[in-house]
Amino acid sequence: MIRWIIANVVCSYLGTIAFAVMFHVPRRFYTSCGIIGTLGWLVYCVAEKSVSPAAASFFGSLVVVLISRILTVRMKCPVTMFMIPGIFPLIPGASVYYMAYDLVMSDTAHAGQSGFLALKIAFGIVLGIVTAVSIPREVFGGDYWRNKKQKG
Amino acid sequence: MRFQQITENKKEYLDLLLLTDPQEDMIDRYLDTGDMFALYEGKELCTLAVITLLKNRECEIRNLVTTYGHGGKGYTRAMIHFLSEYYRSKCDVIYVGTWNYGESLRVYKRCGFEYSHTLPDYYVNNYREPIFLDGQQMRDMVYLKKPLDVEVDLKKVVNLALNAGRILLKSGAEIFRVDETIQRICQRYHVEDVDTFVLSHGIFISAAKGGEEALSKIKHVPLSSTNLEVVAEVNDLSRRISAGMINLEEAAEELERIEHIPPKKDWQLILASGVGSGAFGFFLGASAAESVCAFFIGCILYVWVLFAGKHKLSKIIINIVGGILITSMAVLSYILIPVAMKIDGMIIASILPLVPGVAFVNSIRDISGGDYLSGTVRMIDALLVFVYIATGVGLALSVFSNWIGGLGV
Repeated sequence: MIRWIIANVVCSYLGTIAFAVMFHVPRRFYTSCGIIGTLGWLVYCVAEKSVSPAAASFFGSLVVVLISRILTVRMKCPVTMFMIPGIFPLIPGASVYYMAYDLVMSDTAHAGQSGFLALKIAFGIVLGIVTAVSIPREVFGGDYWRNKKQKG
Repeated sequence: MRFQQITENKKEYLDLLLLTDPQEDMIDRYLDTGDMFALYEGKELCTLAVITLLKNRECEIRNLVTTYGHGGKGYTRAMIHFLSEYYRSKCDVIYVGTWNYGESLRVYKRCGFEYSHTLPDYYVNNYREPIFLDGQQMRDMVYLKKPLDVEVDLKKVVNLALNAGRILLKSGAEIFRVDETIQRICQRYHVEDVDTFVLSHGIFISAAKGGEEALSKIKHVPLSSTNLEVVAEVNDLSRRISAGMINLEEAAEELERIEHIPPKKDWQLILASGVGSGAFGFFLGASAAESVCAFFIGCILYVWVLFAGKHKLSKIIINIVGGILITSMAVLSYILIPVAMKIDGMIIASILPLVPGVAFVNSIRDISGGDYLSGTVRMIDALLVFVYIATGVGLALSVFSNWIGGLGV
């Protein structure tokens, strides 16, 4: 179990950073990108135990975008910087592959299933992003909470 | 560096103001009517300025003080620069009165102030205590002035804004960010009447000034490779522009520099693609041996992507051939390497570098921001790339399964 956790954390961290490099994210953001990718993936793994993969993707991407937005305000940079590499572990590459494989094997029923699963997961990610993005920008700034405390 | 206007409890800053204006009732004369601005570095207050509006589109800096320990770092100049930009639309001339001695005089002159007139014995008549600086009594107040150029060069501003927008769009920014940046730059340089229409492949902008001069421009922005570093830099520049810390020429130069930031080296990208494939393969459920293979497949795949990019091959070719390449190499290593492996893990891991993550995420952001047109275009782009990859993988799989019969999937 512990080995599983360590392997997942290390690999998703490294993998996310690798994709950050591929999209030319500035070096100072690497660590944050890695942490966001790892957290998103861990949330996905935990959620997947009790809900469907699509719903798990929703929670994963929700966490990714929320943390990205908090860091964006802190570090004053575009949110894309963290979001794009962070989303990568959730992308349904496997379903797309199985769809292609089943199509080749003339197993259209399974191909349709895999293709539909890929779409559902993608939609879960979309919903996660949209939900997190529609929270107003001010909520993520420190000032908002400080002012609220003063008023309250 | 961050500028903030202070509107409440100005008295709290009295200690600081007394450093340059040693008599409280003199400060009271302008404190209530004046605008107070503070420059913060992080959380620390570095420079404080009070400025009052006079008649006939003129204003005067009444107090400008840099806190102890922050002198000589350019904060004073930054503040003067900010004030000049801030009041440019309201005033034609900015004045400052200071004693005829020392560092402050030199700083103002370096910032473009020139001598205007002298009030003889001002400090002697208005202050109860004589003021001494380095053992010398201050008597006269000299007034310095600086004309605030209100000439707006419409063409230059629009060009700068359009250029910033173009660089953002081609580097993979969202539509609303491009729009916002263009608007911000135009507002800052006093082109207030501006309309923009940004699409995923083009920018339309039209701006007018005072009803007489108008300018429209259309810019086609072809697809290009994503470079989030450039997006971050332009975003940062636009922040500095709206804070009024940078003038038009400097901004244009800075933009030029940003556009020529060298991209990452090829070997770094190839290695990143390999590491990405290998690491993702492992946590998506592949075995260690499969992940190592995925690492090499990812590297070789990116050599192809870079090669194809240099020769401007179409996306369809890049992704279909990429898919074929991945599958062939996965099958090859399945046959050649005498370790129990399954090919699906390797393929799933190695297709990830081809996955259009930026197009996918940006299309969602665009659609959720109401930019349906660009969002749809990008979404179709992302979906088609998935289809191309699947086509390539499927093609190669069908060939191999016919050759060697059942694959160990």
